[in-house]
Amino acid sequence: MMLVPCPWCGPRNVAEFRYVGESSARPDPATTSASDWRTYLYTRRNPCDWIKETWYHRMGCRQYFGLERHTMTNRTRPAESSR
Amino acid sequence: MSDTSSYSGPAPVARSPITPGPTRVGDGALSLNDESSVGKLLVHAPVDGPMAGALGTRFGRTAREAGDDTLVVGSGPGEWLVVASVQDLPKLTTWLEQQGEGDPGLVSVVDVTHGRAMMRLTGQAAADVLAKLTAVDLSDSVVPDGGAFRSSVARVATDVIRDDSGGIATSDRPSYLLHCERSSGQYLWDAVVDAGGEFGLTTRGATS
Repeated sequence: MMLVPCPWCGPRNVAEFRYVGESSARPDPATTSASDWRTYLYTRRNPCDWIKETWYHRMGCRQYFGLERHTMTNRTRPAESSR
Repeated sequence: MSDTSSYSGPAPVARSPITPGPTRVGDGALSLNDESSVGKLLVHAPVDGPMAGALGTRFGRTAREAGDDTLVVGSGPGEWLVVASVQDLPKLTTWLEQQGEGDPGLVSVVDVTHGRAMMRLTGQAAADVLAKLTAVDLSDSVVPDGGAFRSSVARVATDVIRDDSGGIATSDRPSYLLHCERSSGQYLWDAVVDAGGEFGLTTRGATS
């Protein structure tokens, strides 16, 4: 079982959450190119390392929050601004 | 919560989604009651605004004034569940809306009485029953009287509210309110009845 540290509720079973995806900076839609917008929407880095992700606590506080997870070990730690 | 304006209209009708099935009669030490028919208001407001101050509690805690049947539950960040008798709902809604007018943030008050199911599990073994259905630590140090959390109970997103003083007859036994979506109410009821069988659970259907 994997425990996800919710910043509001504390550690909970991963089954209570929805994985939103890897976090990345959203480009300005008014100035970005089609290529950069497509990269933002569909391309992921998927490194074997720590990555910043967004999770949603659907069965708990119903909040979105940031989380850092190591993709090889599944160890987690709070993101710098997790709420 | 008692400063409400007068209301003389008819009391709203509240029907439970739960069909309790054959009544189980144990030794009375552990009971499960369908309380879906009580009034339920869902309030959303800024965490630190005037509305939060008027409600008098925060996420993870409950508030009940002495002699008042109204229970305010901090069910989420910026989210409260107000439990009261159906007859009091119109007055309570008016009072809450008045409080919300003074809040600069976005405030909503929604009557979810018919959209939710609620049941009360009371008894010394109540935590043991719930421990079969949820992974959250229910010890007194984590969930004391007046504590609340939302988690998976029998794989249903459920508000679990420790409310010993609102229990039946006695206040010295742990009592938990379980609150979930109406469509999951029957399933959750059946799951709790199944889990409580080995503890001699007594069931009782809706009273109104």
